[in-house]
Amino acid sequence: MKKQAWLLSVLLVLSMFLAACSGGGNDAADTEPEEEPEAPAEPSGEPVQGGDLIIGSSGAPTMFNGLYSSDASSSDIEGMIFDSLVGSDLEFNPVTDGGLAEEVDAAEDGLTYTIKLKEGATFHDGEALNADDVVFTYNIPLSDEYDGPRKSYFEAVESVEKIDDYTVQFNMSKVDAQFPVVGLGFGILPEHILGDVPIPELGEHEFNTKNPIGSGPFKFEEWRDGEYVKVVANEDYWDGRPYLDSVTYKIVPDANAILAQLQAGDIHYYAGVAQPDVPTVESFADAAGIRLESGLALSYTFLGLNQRMEMFQDVSVRQAITHAIDREAIVESVMAGYGEVAHVPESPLSWAYNPDVPKFEYDVEKAKQMLADAGWTPGDDGILEKDGERFSFEVKTNQGNKVREDIVVILQQQLKEVGIEIVPQIVEFSSLIADIDPGVWNFEGIVLGWSLGTDPDPSGIFHTKEIEAGLNFTAYSNPDLDVLMDQSLQELDKEKRKEQIGQVQQGLAEDQAYTFLYYPEEFRALPANLQGYEFHAKNQLYKINKWWLEQE
Amino acid sequence: MVSYIIRRTIMAIPLLFGITILSFAIIQAAPGDPTSLMMDPSMKPSDKEAFRERYGLDEPIHIQYITWLGNMAQGDFGDSIIKRGTPVSELIMNRLPNTLLLMLVSTILAILIAIPFGIYSAMRPYTKLDYTVTVTSFLGVATPNFWLGLMLIMFLSVTLGWFPTGGVATLNADFSLWDRIHHLILPAFVLAVADMAALTRYTRSSMMDVLKQDYIRTAMSKGFKEKKVVLKHGLRNGMIPIITIFGLMLPSFIGGAAITERVFAWPGIGLLFIESAFQRDYPVIMALTVISAVFVVIGNLLADILYAVFDPRIEY
Repeated sequence: MKKQAWLLSVLLVLSMFLAACSGGGNDAADTEPEEEPEAPAEPSGEPVQGGDLIIGSSGAPTMFNGLYSSDASSSDIEGMIFDSLVGSDLEFNPVTDGGLAEEVDAAEDGLTYTIKLKEGATFHDGEALNADDVVFTYNIPLSDEYDGPRKSYFEAVESVEKIDDYTVQFNMSKVDAQFPVVGLGFGILPEHILGDVPIPELGEHEFNTKNPIGSGPFKFEEWRDGEYVKVVANEDYWDGRPYLDSVTYKIVPDANAILAQLQAGDIHYYAGVAQPDVPTVESFADAAGIRLESGLALSYTFLGLNQRMEMFQDVSVRQAITHAIDREAIVESVMAGYGEVAHVPESPLSWAYNPDVPKFEYDVEKAKQMLADAGWTPGDDGILEKDGERFSFEVKTNQGNKVREDIVVILQQQLKEVGIEIVPQIVEFSSLIADIDPGVWNFEGIVLGWSLGTDPDPSGIFHTKEIEAGLNFTAYSNPDLDVLMDQSLQELDKEKRKEQIGQVQQGLAEDQAYTFLYYPEEFRALPANLQGYEFHAKNQLYKINKWWLEQE
Repeated sequence: MVSYIIRRTIMAIPLLFGITILSFAIIQAAPGDPTSLMMDPSMKPSDKEAFRERYGLDEPIHIQYITWLGNMAQGDFGDSIIKRGTPVSELIMNRLPNTLLLMLVSTILAILIAIPFGIYSAMRPYTKLDYTVTVTSFLGVATPNFWLGLMLIMFLSVTLGWFPTGGVATLNADFSLWDRIHHLILPAFVLAVADMAALTRYTRSSMMDVLKQDYIRTAMSKGFKEKKVVLKHGLRNGMIPIITIFGLMLPSFIGGAAITERVFAWPGIGLLFIESAFQRDYPVIMALTVISAVFVVIGNLLADILYAVFDPRIEY
């Protein structure tokens, strides 16, 4: 996959686990429903209908059913075809606006969620969408026979029941603070079409690939494998017909070819402009009738150190390594300045971001001092030694990602300054992923990126219980933070949860659980006359039903 | 002749059998599996296990192989693991016509240009034209496909607007033959360049050998026209090694165009192959491997048969 994906923007990112949260997210809106069209910075007239937008993507979708797909391209398209109960706003708060829910009522104890549905939503075949469809959709992943990748999202859900035609109730077996944003973001499937299909057959059903029917702003028209997916405006959309007549999601595997197509006007919208290509795109933007929008990407790049190795178990050594790395310089040289130094595993865009954490600035002298205090002394060749062991380790990253390959080389140079030797190892992506698999852990240092979910819970990566079989592949462990993370998942009061997660972020920064490197800035090319567009870090097609093309 | 063909075909069966065992083992030995790309902190290892179980990936490798072989023997390549529920045969049939069209056109283009130039170079070796042809050929061989493709897109498509930037047809437009041809020209040309260069060189050296033969000199001294001697008596013998080359080129029809397909967003088999390899979509990789292997066998067989056609001395 090099992965696919995608590849250029997403090569930055280790994973594509965003399907869940953006399943129907592009329908999510701000708190005031009627303030569209929102054209930032530009004066605009009345929205007009019309236009076919061609979106370029280097990744190809696999199927259109959010309960079974797990890649970003599929999720982009699912977001146009399906509606979810709630979406996420620009700060990743769950919001009902633009979603099918009229009201989400969480019980005091967090054990039931009562959801009132908007009336008037219909599927693309004309059938009304009601509580039966919601109950049907959510019973799929709750079933033991379900074999898709989303089962864990619903671990806390005991049952879903219909109260009346437009009210459903989720009964929880335990409190799950993530549930409203993660669990309620799935596209609602039509019971009248899939109701009779046995659950084990749903993953392979041709609904997913040949004829997906949702209630979203766009109707599926055609998917030509390896070429494009086309969706057309849903005339009867409950939130008003989208302004665009159609959207074509065009698959062009080569990133350079995408840029050429952008310049030639064969692609109108591309969300994965790589940082080094920004000047190129800027140079032809006017002639091609496009503009660039940028924002922080919802991801971060890090250096992970395998804390199963004794040398990395000492917190002060990890802190010293961070001191020895000039992260500003990395952003400046490999990212052409388009990025921000990261201190915690959460995006500054998120409501849960804590800016007030220990920071380990670039300071070679201090790094040397800390390493000396930790017992590391320079050997004959200038490389530090302790008890006969040289401070030398391998750093792996994935092949084909120029930025990461460069980072490893820079790390090698910078850490040499303090007497630490790095041996770069560039490996194919799938092999690299296999190297961090539970039980394998065949790495010493690793440069990778994580894309972040809309919920700020960091426990999937940093909790002690994730070491043995989960994604905590560096084996980081801090029992105090484990307790805090567990508590934050049980905390329904958002302010309190924010505080707890903030403390977790402080702890992770203090411990340098990873050596956090930077948040990349992301660039999207779009038609110069596109109005109603808002930069949503998680959803490149956010509120696409409100986009419109201004006529000359 | 017929018995020879039958004998060769039967001999190919154990060969193909061996190829499938070997490729199956190699693919499985590559690190990772189709779940590798599902990295999600909220996805539990048990979810991946369930997925592996669903697709029999948890079985021992020999069981997986036997299952696969059994299905394949009945003409069933199975379903894609990544594109769940989509039969592999459907994925391949969607792409195969695109690739075959591209390869066929580019090969014809290569032949039409390379053989006349090769012959001419051989007839007039060490002249200006010969040197020009030689230098151009080497340039052609040395130019990477993707680079040439991108350059052509930049100049001919983006700057001059003469050609489309990629794809097989204009989006959102009705079918038109010219539109299809228009989209085909650049990728076919790019693919042809490398083949063309190699073919020119082969034709030249093979023809030079033939033209040195006594019977050519005899024919010349008899006063026949040079053109007639070269084309009628020389070419037929000169083509024999070229036929082998064609036979060996045939398998590349399947995967050989991957890079060009990528640059031109040409939805062909090569792209499918790369994509599936990175995603570890085992059924798709295996199906394509088997098809390529069959092509190798057919290509070799075809070369042998054509040998007999062109060279009367050979009999099977």
